[in-house]
Amino acid sequence: MPVIEVADLVKEFSRPKQQEGAFAGIRTLLTREQTVKRAVDGVNFTVQRGEMVGYLGPNGAGKSTTIKMLTGILVPTSGTVTVAGTTPWRDRSRNARRIGVVFGQRSQLWWDLPLRDSLWLISRLYDVPQARFREKQRQFSEVLDLGPFLDTPVRQLSLGQRMRGDLAAAMLYDPDILYLDEPTVGLDVIAKERIRTFVGELNRTSGTTVILTTHDLDDVEELCDRIILIDHGKVAYDGAVDELKTRYAPHRELVVQTDGLESVEGAEVVRREGGKVWLRFDPVRTPPADLVAAVLAQHRVTDLSIVEPELESVIHRIYADRG
Amino acid sequence: MRGPRVYLLLAGAAFRAEFQYRGNLFINIIGGLFYQGVGLAFIWAVLDRFGQVGGWGLGEIAFLYGMRLTAHGLWVLPGHQLIHVDEVVIEGEYDRYLVRPVSPLVQLLTRRVRLSSLGDLAGGSALLVIASASAPVDWSPGAVCFLLLAVVGGALVEGSLQLAASALVFRMKRVSPIKFAIDMIFSDFGNYPLKIFGPVAGFALTFVFPLAFVAYLPATVLMDRGEELAVPEWLAWGAPGIGVVLMYAAYRFWERQSRYYESSGH
Repeated sequence: MPVIEVADLVKEFSRPKQQEGAFAGIRTLLTREQTVKRAVDGVNFTVQRGEMVGYLGPNGAGKSTTIKMLTGILVPTSGTVTVAGTTPWRDRSRNARRIGVVFGQRSQLWWDLPLRDSLWLISRLYDVPQARFREKQRQFSEVLDLGPFLDTPVRQLSLGQRMRGDLAAAMLYDPDILYLDEPTVGLDVIAKERIRTFVGELNRTSGTTVILTTHDLDDVEELCDRIILIDHGKVAYDGAVDELKTRYAPHRELVVQTDGLESVEGAEVVRREGGKVWLRFDPVRTPPADLVAAVLAQHRVTDLSIVEPELESVIHRIYADRG
Repeated sequence: MRGPRVYLLLAGAAFRAEFQYRGNLFINIIGGLFYQGVGLAFIWAVLDRFGQVGGWGLGEIAFLYGMRLTAHGLWVLPGHQLIHVDEVVIEGEYDRYLVRPVSPLVQLLTRRVRLSSLGDLAGGSALLVIASASAPVDWSPGAVCFLLLAVVGGALVEGSLQLAASALVFRMKRVSPIKFAIDMIFSDFGNYPLKIFGPVAGFALTFVFPLAFVAYLPATVLMDRGEELAVPEWLAWGAPGIGVVLMYAAYRFWERQSRYYESSGH
């Protein structure tokens, strides 16, 4: 059952054209000439309940603009957005109760109050019954380890602690959909991992639909089955992560530690370093097992591994191709 | 009633946040009182020299001043945060208000409190009470009622202009100069009987910039000087209603304009 439906979505930003010459400021103020920038240019997709979707794109591709229309922050120029049956910007308040939003760059918590107060305020704003709130707070304190800083004013929290607090605040009222905008930006490895585990767990146990925008593709690789790539305001790819790799980076690499391997049938030597040789092959034409057998039959091998292409390099290639 | 409950909840949070910096509290209140005291001292100095301004003596002017200041304090206490509307909109803090099930305007108004507003309100009320005793007003229960309504109406008139000016931020991005100008007009012209500025300014400050409805018109009819007004007396008695109408119009304007919100960064 689709929980988010986006059809022919367009968002244009228009500004008065900057005038030059004498009285430029006043003429800019009075001019009727507009420069129009189309940030989102006819985007279509649907998201099913319980999906975890990575929404990716380079800076300025229209990624945040789309998310802002989905969350009801921006009003589209044309096209439709339906989230759980409502139009977010028109029925803002109702939409707000069904979504959790975490902006990595900007906290939603009360800056000068202890985290505990922020959580309590959120529970009141969203009419969470107090017994339910206490249970949730206990549960999140445990999973996100909020205990040590529940009574610290938010402005004194570290970035990692603040993000955990923000996540707890966003999930306190059990929203159906969670929007995460750069949730791991600036965090260390352990903090990143903790957040990913929490989100993954949430999706598994509560069936929360997750829309994730991020620059850290490890987030996507670990959490999402599906990605939507956006470029120049249009959808460049929409599908499974695995399929993206197969389509845009069909090759695998076999790395062998060996002595004097010159060539082997069905693979191409792409790199040599020390005693290591990188062999690129297409797993459809050359089954990995056959290749490994062929190598082992002719050479003394001390170590061997097969390397999957990284999502990062795949996406990099797509953007490079589209130029 | 969800609306008032949510407002109190958020305003309470803003107060708690402000009390984290306890030293600020008294300095701010005293600062507010002092600032308004300087204004009053100026008028007192003028009157001391000339005896009367436009036929109004110290008692009458103090009453007018008290009404204006109380109305101002009554608006600024809840409405002060509109002063930050530029940064809230330009820096995208407004995003956050739009993803919560609460009116964005309420969230903007309760983002913080400025405690010096309490000084304005306390100073204004004290002056109004003292001046009411010496002002030539027949204090029937009806007159007291009208005074209270007029002060609330005055707060709504000032608030409506500030709200309407703030609403322009969604398209113009920087409206603080306009709002500063509005504030200047209120504090520079609001404390004197309007007729001393001549008929053109009097007309403009009634029908173009509705300053007269804040204190001058209701104060004049309360002191039974209606015959010196350039407008019919019923309009002066209707001042509180004008405040309600203007605030409603300003709120609708704000709602309309907020659709043009563009957030920050795309």
